[in-house]
Amino acid sequence: MALIAAMTLAACASAGPVPPGTPAGAEVPGSAAGSAQPSGPPNAPPGRQFHLGAAANALVAQAHTQASAGEYAAAGATLERALRIEPDNPLLWVELGRVQMGEGNAAQADGMGRKALALATGDPSAQASAWRLIADSLHARGRTAEALEAEQRAASLAPQ
Amino acid sequence: MLYLDLLVIHQFEGRRWTLPAQVYAAPLELYAGLPLSEPEVAHELERLHYRKVAQLDRPGTYRLNGARIDVALRPARFADESRDAGLLSIATGPQGIESLKDAAGREVPVLRLEPLLIGSIFPSHGEDRIVLTPRDVPPLLPAALKAVEDRRFDSHRGVDPQAILRALWVDARAGQIEQGGSTLTQQLVRSYFLSTRQTLGRKIREAIMAVALDAHFTKDDLMNAYINEIFLGQDGSRAIHGFGLASQFYFGKPLSELDLSEIALLVAVVRGPSYYDPRRHADRVLARRNLVLKELADQRVVTAPEAAAAARRPLAVTPRPAGAYYPAYLDFVRRTLRRDYRDQDLTEAGLSIHTSLEPRAQDAAERALESELTRLDRPKKRGGEPQSLQGAVVVTTPQSGDVIAIVGGRDVGYDGFDRALDARRAMGSLVKPFVYLSALESGRYHAATIVQDEPVDLKLTGGQHWRPENFNHDSNGPVPVARALAESLNLATVGVGLDIGLPKVAETLQRFGLDRTPQQVPAMLLGAVDVTPLEAAQLFNGLANGGFRNPLRAVRAVIGADGKALKAFPLQVTQVATPEAVYQLDRLLTLVMNRGTGRGARPLLPPDLVVAGKSGTSSDYRDSWFAGFSGSHLTVVWVGYDDDAPTGLTGSAGALPAWAHIMASLGGSSWNAPMPEGLVDMEIEYTTGRRVLPGCSDDRVTVAVPAAAQVAPKPGCGFPDSGNPVTTFIDRTHQWLHNLVH
Repeated sequence: MALIAAMTLAACASAGPVPPGTPAGAEVPGSAAGSAQPSGPPNAPPGRQFHLGAAANALVAQAHTQASAGEYAAAGATLERALRIEPDNPLLWVELGRVQMGEGNAAQADGMGRKALALATGDPSAQASAWRLIADSLHARGRTAEALEAEQRAASLAPQ
Repeated sequence: MLYLDLLVIHQFEGRRWTLPAQVYAAPLELYAGLPLSEPEVAHELERLHYRKVAQLDRPGTYRLNGARIDVALRPARFADESRDAGLLSIATGPQGIESLKDAAGREVPVLRLEPLLIGSIFPSHGEDRIVLTPRDVPPLLPAALKAVEDRRFDSHRGVDPQAILRALWVDARAGQIEQGGSTLTQQLVRSYFLSTRQTLGRKIREAIMAVALDAHFTKDDLMNAYINEIFLGQDGSRAIHGFGLASQFYFGKPLSELDLSEIALLVAVVRGPSYYDPRRHADRVLARRNLVLKELADQRVVTAPEAAAAARRPLAVTPRPAGAYYPAYLDFVRRTLRRDYRDQDLTEAGLSIHTSLEPRAQDAAERALESELTRLDRPKKRGGEPQSLQGAVVVTTPQSGDVIAIVGGRDVGYDGFDRALDARRAMGSLVKPFVYLSALESGRYHAATIVQDEPVDLKLTGGQHWRPENFNHDSNGPVPVARALAESLNLATVGVGLDIGLPKVAETLQRFGLDRTPQQVPAMLLGAVDVTPLEAAQLFNGLANGGFRNPLRAVRAVIGADGKALKAFPLQVTQVATPEAVYQLDRLLTLVMNRGTGRGARPLLPPDLVVAGKSGTSSDYRDSWFAGFSGSHLTVVWVGYDDDAPTGLTGSAGALPAWAHIMASLGGSSWNAPMPEGLVDMEIEYTTGRRVLPGCSDDRVTVAVPAAAQVAPKPGCGFPDSGNPVTTFIDRTHQWLHNLVH
């Protein structure tokens, strides 16, 4: 019975495109009936998958064009626009971390990767992207053992 | 004479107006899904001084077209790119913006409105201006200037003897437009080269120099110089020069968008910006503007019906000058930039500064603070002088680290003491989240851990005793951590803090961004740490951002006069605490709002908005703080007296209502961080910290604890032996089903 419940939860939670301006994923905490006051949020549901809204998607495309022309600062600024629209979307933090890597700023890329990882709970594919970014950042800083561990985590979450 | 001639020519040829840096707010991003209603979109356009029209005729206008708003966009320059003028059609519905389409009907995924000019950084001599090229100037302006100020400008040679004679004649008659007798060239010379002393010698020099200029420069060149040079208003220590800035100063929009009545007003002001100040002497200015219009019709610059229609229009001057709105925010911008730029670069080099200020949030913060302080104010007689309460607000978007609003005091237009940046006050109980975060990080505490709220008597070095008390001078005995923080129990917190260690708590504060080592005395645990509201915002931003610190920033980019980016302040994040510890703490801070010292905010907030926060009250009620966040915004409010006198207000009584009003106006999203793996929700009894099942206690709260946490069940609550893995599984399943059903 609990298993069925779990599957139902998972099905409800695999969101389609996230409407911008609302946090990705689960229902608004405290909306449960019978609770007079909002309580804490529910567990992050397993099996959700992050997407980009149309606005963020267009900005990511623009950032890719800028980054491939070597305009990393402009690409970063464009991704920050997207992040202001969807600040909880781990995919955007990974994108921003990739731009940091392109600029040779591996330490900042690590921060972006860890931020993405914290937001990606419940989405193995997004978690894997975050771990890959962290691995690349560690490699770039010569921390090979930690990098390999991060790669393994990525591989176990979403084999490429 | 020849020397003077050469000097004038040389100076004028090499002329370069000093260009104060122009400071811009964050541009509003429009996209499908943005929760802005049609009136709100229209309001944002009006803020940028777009004019509502029946038919779109030129950039800077909009019209309501059924369910759509059609906008003729102005060209815009952002920090990273430019956009041309163009048409945009915005469809709105009950959820906000539904779609954006361009002139060809194509879907536009995202588009920025141009950023609002919020001020400039002008030099100490006070000259502020926006320089225009002849292309930016509507032809009506030079025509009107000539008609009113200098009819023979195109033909005279710098001075106009006829005009001088006529001026003497006209001045003797009443009811006619006064004639100054000085040509535009003479006025230019006076403003550009000479002091304002009225002597005959100066008059002669002025005439000679005007003739020299006229001989060496084209009339067009002189007219453009005049339009950029002439003094048109005063705003405190800031002198408004040139029609480009005057247009922004009086109307909040570019000169190219002014209509006949507005241009006539500016031409009317030329004669005496103080005497004809449209904000102070509206009747006088209206009369003179209409005289100008009549003169323009008489001289056939415009038709008589056009002039008559324009004369019927009100002055339409903005109530407050643009650029003087947000002194506290500009103060932060200036301080940020002074690290990298000399004053001269800022006041002369024509830089554009792009900031994070969100006018909507700024307005909400100003309004809420002012109205709450007025409500709270109980002017006391001390030495016969009533004193009024002061306050400060900082609002950020935690994930980006953008500071979107700063209020530095009650009188928001006053460019004086900026409390948000300079009032360093005891943080009081705002420190407690960092005490408990340190405890959670140690692994020895969780939300249901029982701590002792009992009298403390510490012998300090020096032999004195420290005997802190709870606010109600009582003690509660054993309480769970969740309740100790929610109710801000001093004695329990001191016990936890001493157990964890003062150095550890100090280190946590520094990790989250405190830029100095706090004095490690036990009173630190109750907030004997002085911080400014901005510093408090930096500390709490890390809690709102899941344990990631990002330096709070007001400035996003600095653009040179040539349009090239000179400096950017990109987003940076550094992980300073584990997501697990911060998540557990943030959940405790949501309990503060539901059960503890923040519950007074609940009726003022949207019912389903989840927020987390903490009150702060320093000793003797000198400082009243509230710091808290939703999923999208962090707001810190401080209320107190400038001289540190007791206010009689707790954080909940003083700062909390203003905080709640601001959070409600911001209309953001709920705090909804994903629960990190390894944590579980658990229902405990609020008073005892015992684990309970639904139905066996009517005082339940849900907290997040590590999955391995051992929490004693409430006796008689239907739990079999605790610790048995099988029963634990059954308990969890039971709880899960319960959550599902409800």
